[in-house]
Amino acid sequence: MAPHVKIERGTRTSRIAGRLALVLLAALAAAPWWTGRANLRLLGEFYTFVALASLWNLLAGYAGLVSVGQQAFVGFGGYVLFAAAMFYGVPPLLAIVLAGVVGALIALPMAPLLFRLHGAYFAIGTWVAAEVFRLSFAQVSVLGGGSGTSLPARLVTGIAATRDQRDMLLYWCALALGLGTVAMIYALLRSRAGLALAAIRDSEIASESLGIDIFRTKLAIYVATAAVTSMVGALIFLQKLRISPDAAFSVNDWTAYVIFIVVIGGIGTIEGPIVGAIVFFLLRETLADLGTIYLVILGMVAIAVMLKAPRGLWGSFSHRTGIVLFPLRRRVVHPDAR
Amino acid sequence: MTDIKKATISGHGSRRTFLKTTALAAIAAPAVLRSGRAHAAKSTIKVGHVSPRTGALAGFAEADDYVLGGIRKMFDGGVDNNGRKVRIEIVSKDSQSNPNRAAEVAAELILKDEVDIIVAASTPDTVNPVADQAEVNGTPCITTDCPWQPYFFGRNGDPAKGFQSTYHFFWGLEDVIGAFLSLWDVPGVGKSVGGLFPNDADGNAWGDRERGFAKPLAAAGFKLTDPGRYQPLSDDFSAQINAFKQAGVEIVTGNMIPPDFATFWSQSGQQGFRPRIVTIGKALLFPSVIASLGERGVGLSSEIWWSPNHPFSSSLTGDSARKLAEGYVAAAKRPWTQPIGFKHALFEVVADVVKRTKDLERPESIVEAIRTTKLDTIVGPVDWSRGPVKNVTKTPLVAGQWQKRGGGLELVITTNKTAPSIPVGGELVLL
Repeated sequence: MAPHVKIERGTRTSRIAGRLALVLLAALAAAPWWTGRANLRLLGEFYTFVALASLWNLLAGYAGLVSVGQQAFVGFGGYVLFAAAMFYGVPPLLAIVLAGVVGALIALPMAPLLFRLHGAYFAIGTWVAAEVFRLSFAQVSVLGGGSGTSLPARLVTGIAATRDQRDMLLYWCALALGLGTVAMIYALLRSRAGLALAAIRDSEIASESLGIDIFRTKLAIYVATAAVTSMVGALIFLQKLRISPDAAFSVNDWTAYVIFIVVIGGIGTIEGPIVGAIVFFLLRETLADLGTIYLVILGMVAIAVMLKAPRGLWGSFSHRTGIVLFPLRRRVVHPDAR
Repeated sequence: MTDIKKATISGHGSRRTFLKTTALAAIAAPAVLRSGRAHAAKSTIKVGHVSPRTGALAGFAEADDYVLGGIRKMFDGGVDNNGRKVRIEIVSKDSQSNPNRAAEVAAELILKDEVDIIVAASTPDTVNPVADQAEVNGTPCITTDCPWQPYFFGRNGDPAKGFQSTYHFFWGLEDVIGAFLSLWDVPGVGKSVGGLFPNDADGNAWGDRERGFAKPLAAAGFKLTDPGRYQPLSDDFSAQINAFKQAGVEIVTGNMIPPDFATFWSQSGQQGFRPRIVTIGKALLFPSVIASLGERGVGLSSEIWWSPNHPFSSSLTGDSARKLAEGYVAAAKRPWTQPIGFKHALFEVVADVVKRTKDLERPESIVEAIRTTKLDTIVGPVDWSRGPVKNVTKTPLVAGQWQKRGGGLELVITTNKTAPSIPVGGELVLL
């Protein structure tokens, strides 16, 4: 009699990791009770970078859409928040959600244009699109034009009754966005769409012949990524309090650092962007005061990882040990093997 | 507290150790939090300082090491406050010439280093994000080295209300317009002016139809040709040069960053546009920029906020402007620059504020001391009761020209109608 075989995704490690992750999550959610305002802000910034890096990883690592223009949506989300809060009196936290909706709406007509380009041309095309955003917002004089504008202090202080409550709310927003992004991507990649994505990544022609609608799959990913990136952008600039075209659509801050994080951590893995963000923040918190040398060190770390561990830190670790915390692949499990 | 943070960031590899540390820290934390320094007797005042040490604006912070070195020596001895000595500690952070980073380091100084006062200098890109963070957190904040309109209106300031905890000293557009007009008041030059204003914080303020150059120039009988805002880092100024040629422009003015001016100036040469006077804000402040223009740098003119010839001295050290500048030249083996005086003055104001604050425990008390400042500094009097708007006070401004003196180029004051106490060093030579 043939033995009963089971198809499984989870591994023992992933199940243990899952349980530990819940504990960690509870600890992070309770952070306002065990750490000060400075660490709350730092953790909040960390979550936003985890979100940005995970989103970029979804585009580049899973959908094969290597974009260097994600700053378009970070800045756009920021501007939507400023405009909604300053001119229409939308409460800032609500404006974050609004930024997501408007971000998706603007990405929808952009995608068909950009998808006409492939590979390196697509990358340059997204960058050009981001520059168009930057130059356009530099012409909007009610938002300060090229000078930029500040969020009036009363709008920010109006978020909550006290300063501590405001910090807590913003912290939880960042945690929710960071966590929500990773969870969304994990769920997406385990769904039918994830399977389609994996097929597209491996061979577009083969997957099309199997009946996968490549355009629609990519469109859905691009628009969803744009929506969440816009929300993250809105939250970032709610914390920065000031927006200007150069800051909002900065390719260095919102794309170069994000690519650094993903490449260091490991592209095409869910864990990679998180590991990369941890490394990036460790480097920044310890070395940023060195000025130019800090940037030189960042560059050298990137070169070293690309040469010695092209899969990134997590990618190499996972490849060597077989440990996967967020399993996506299905495995055949023989009952006797357990 | 530091342990918790490190564990949180680095602990991913080993969740177990991380959780253990976190759990222990979570139990210990409330005690740590409650014995924060806010409740200890204040024998040290922490001052956060944000400055563009690297990046495009690095020229403004070139003298930071020298100025801060001198200030730290003064501050280590302590400053008198209510009959006891208070040490002032400076924590300096680099904004990387990036407004995003400036906001981030300002927040870090306020939240993590828990500074009592935050100071910042050099252009709206540094000053505005820092002041915004300070305003929301109620931290006393003093800034300088940025014209007051981009600071005040660029932050959506309301002249009737002002700001709660953020104060600024520098000159304004009306001063630079006055200084430029008196600089151009020489025989033999037509009254046709060409304006070069970029689409950035300074350019939009200088070119503003209501608050900018347009109205005062018209009132003084000058015709302004303004071809509109150009995008910073442009590589083609042909349109502007053509417009200036057609309007018969003899004087060129504006506010530019050095690379844009270099592009404009070399293209003007190539296209045969020869104005008699070129007076540009911001781009022509630094000797290194003028030197990079070679022979064509001679005779360009600029606003002068501070020079070794200013008849002021430091309230901290008693040194004259000349002595401070010469000290820098000797220490760094580089020519003096204008921000040196203002960086020094910023800390003069800090020391004076600390001296006069009634209760250093309370930020409101520090803000009250800033508001009532009346101090003669190395850049002139700082007194917020005499501001054009709330939270702003002005220091004197003159203008002058880069002229060959001895072996090198020197910025010579050629007009002082706007501040007669500052001596003139020579006459304007037409290009």
